[in-house]
Amino acid sequence: MEKLRKSLTTFLVPLLSILLAFLIGAIIMAGLGANPLTAMYALFKGAFGTSASVGTTLNKAVPLIFTSLCACFAYKCGVYNLGGEGQFLMGATTGFCVVHCLGLTGLPGILAALVTGTIAGGIWGMLPGILKITRGLNEMIISIMLNYVATLFMGVIYTSWIRDANMPQTPSVDDSLKLGRVISDMRFTWALIIALAVGLILYYFLYWTSSGFKLRAVGLNMTASRFNGFPVKRYILISFIVSGAIAGLGGASDLLGTQYRLINGYGSGYGFDGVAIALIGQLHPIATIIVAIFFAALRVGSTSMQVSTGVPTSVSDIIQALVIVFSVAGMALTKLPEFEAFRLRLFSKKGKEEVNA
Amino acid sequence: MEELLRMEHISKQFAGFYANRDICLTVNRGEVLTLLGENGAGKSTLMNILIGLYQPTEGKIFFKGKEERIESPGQAVRLGIGMVHQHFMLVEAMTVFENIILGDKNSGGIFIDRDARRAEIEALAGRYGLDVELDKLITEISVGAQQRVEILKALYHGAELLILDEPSAALTDIEVEGLFAIIQKLTEEGKSIISISHKMREVLRISDRITVLRAGEVVTTVKRNETDAQKLANLMIGHELAGSQYEKKTKSDGQTVLKLNEVKYHEHSKHNGLAGVSIEVKAGEIVGIAGVDGNGQTQLAQVVTGVISPEQGALEIKGEKISVSDPSAFIGRNVSHVPEDRNLQGLIGDMPISDNLILKLTDSAQFSRGKGMFLKKKEIRSYAENLTEKYDIRCTSVEQDVRSLSGGNQQKVILARELESEPELLVAAHPTRGLDIGATRFVHDQMIAARDRGVGILLISADFDEILEMSDRILVMFEGQIMGEFSGENPPVEEISLAMTGR
Repeated sequence: MEKLRKSLTTFLVPLLSILLAFLIGAIIMAGLGANPLTAMYALFKGAFGTSASVGTTLNKAVPLIFTSLCACFAYKCGVYNLGGEGQFLMGATTGFCVVHCLGLTGLPGILAALVTGTIAGGIWGMLPGILKITRGLNEMIISIMLNYVATLFMGVIYTSWIRDANMPQTPSVDDSLKLGRVISDMRFTWALIIALAVGLILYYFLYWTSSGFKLRAVGLNMTASRFNGFPVKRYILISFIVSGAIAGLGGASDLLGTQYRLINGYGSGYGFDGVAIALIGQLHPIATIIVAIFFAALRVGSTSMQVSTGVPTSVSDIIQALVIVFSVAGMALTKLPEFEAFRLRLFSKKGKEEVNA
Repeated sequence: MEELLRMEHISKQFAGFYANRDICLTVNRGEVLTLLGENGAGKSTLMNILIGLYQPTEGKIFFKGKEERIESPGQAVRLGIGMVHQHFMLVEAMTVFENIILGDKNSGGIFIDRDARRAEIEALAGRYGLDVELDKLITEISVGAQQRVEILKALYHGAELLILDEPSAALTDIEVEGLFAIIQKLTEEGKSIISISHKMREVLRISDRITVLRAGEVVTTVKRNETDAQKLANLMIGHELAGSQYEKKTKSDGQTVLKLNEVKYHEHSKHNGLAGVSIEVKAGEIVGIAGVDGNGQTQLAQVVTGVISPEQGALEIKGEKISVSDPSAFIGRNVSHVPEDRNLQGLIGDMPISDNLILKLTDSAQFSRGKGMFLKKKEIRSYAENLTEKYDIRCTSVEQDVRSLSGGNQQKVILARELESEPELLVAAHPTRGLDIGATRFVHDQMIAARDRGVGILLISADFDEILEMSDRILVMFEGQIMGEFSGENPPVEEISLAMTGR
């Protein structure tokens, strides 16, 4: 009963935020002279209309799933990793360089890229973690700054060290390294399976193991965790490393699954998208995956919406932004004591009715 | 002597509870009146009424013979009432000069006539012997100097009545002497002072008259030369020995579970440090630490549970010397801790009751498979349900977040967790603070039962009644030192009261 009551409010907030965001989106569409219903239909058809479009949507969701799980894991331990983008890029860059320079092909190459990418992401995540626990520096600022370092590091690779002839990009990875499709007529690759597996492992770790339990306890109340004998600093550092490793694995997987080469603008915005998605998903790994797919759908669908109804894709961006605003506001609202009182009143009434019936 | 302030029949009610009841007091020009009372006696509430932070429920205030309604601190300042808070209210990033002219009525315009202001402040400082460096930042000057800045600021804003809240609390001995000299100078110049204190030495040094408060009411007002320390301590504590309802164990032959030998931590900080504390707790006895809040009790509790490490001295648990202080090392040696701030230090508020009850047990075979690899949620739930029944934790479900419980029930969750681990030493800091009578009684019963099972208990409390009720032995702490040891059976209340005030 209590669990049901809690999860109801947790589900209700994102759901209402999405509905509200679409409502305002519809008003904007009407203001642009389009029929909101037609435009919405085009949006959803573009994202989920055919098996091909479902495949595209799922494929688009892969990097978002990785970076949002990265943000989610750090948040669960009470620290803010805003460096998902840098860790993602370090994963992709390192994975690429390892297979390119060592000339690896086939399965060993794939494994080497994924493993080294994960390690690189973990190291990139560890840096703000170490600075936080030893020097007390603000992890948000350090992790954001490291995004720029990673972007520029990738830049030096595709502009000078491993440039593809005279173009500002690297050559593509060997064909034998490209991750295959899981189902032949859908565009998503094994990278999606890896992403889903990471999500499931995180869920298991956070909610079913003792270490995950302690990590959540540290995230909710560091002082009480310390008083109860948990090694708080170690957990914070581990959460940074694991969080970075998830993003790094994401970078390597996305490189081999979709992107194939390092190129200007790659990965831009993934980190912050991930933070927003994790927040909307109420920091639950499974919910986070669902929200990531929803965001990917908005992005894929918006193109076909623009083609068929003339509503610009930026309306989809507005809807995405509104979902973030509403769900963060909604979460703040549910923390208010007035809301708690209201909820208790509502539920105790229902409870009584159940008893009477 | 001319009367400056008269408070008549002041009462202040908070949600049915009287913080002040029917308080009458007067302050004459050029005298020092001390308000003496324990924590929670109503001193701060009364002063907050006087400076306009609270409105009295009943009663009248007369200042300079005129009835006044003081509705804001700003109005109090305009009337000539200045307060120096225990924790100074200065802007650290500004200079002394800037702090003093902050909120000055003369600088209402856009420009500040710095030279004129400065001359005025320097004149004031010279007159009262308030030696401050005007151009230093607040962060650069000592605590004693900060206090002088506060006093100077109040005077600059025209204070005729100064309220000093625990004025010597943060000062070194030399600074305290300086403060006394300043107080003397101020009263000679016709300023009046209300000082809040519970330190006997200081009260006797500076006061002309002393008003004793207890439980929100005035016990009496006495002249300095008609009283002494013992009389005042008795008035302040006001304890009629009612006899404890629990049987006291005068002799414990149990094993020594905790031994501190000359433990020091921030030795020179009188209120947040330990200056050579030696304590012994045996199995099956309750050792009570009495004392006014903020005399090192917090640090004592944290040292004996590993939250902070002692800087000097030895700490032994069951005869084993502990060299590395870390909470987990103490938990591993069966030390339980009921911390003083249950929400901040004891509980994970946003986790369910059940999770809080098994907080330290998730690795055990009872609640997980493979050393914490898979939590047995059913076991956890049924265990929690048993405990909520056993410890009378009132909740709708063990899945409820512990934050949504009342204070008493939250405390029972902590107590259940800490006692179910079958500790050999229980450190309980203010275990019944803020609890109602029923919950307090329950906590006490559980602690006595634990003692009878052979648990050694170190009880730290600012509630003197609780110490008298529960302790088999009583130690008194004052400024980081143990002032004496007393028997818990027929405790010498008068001596203990006196020791609590530093005699």
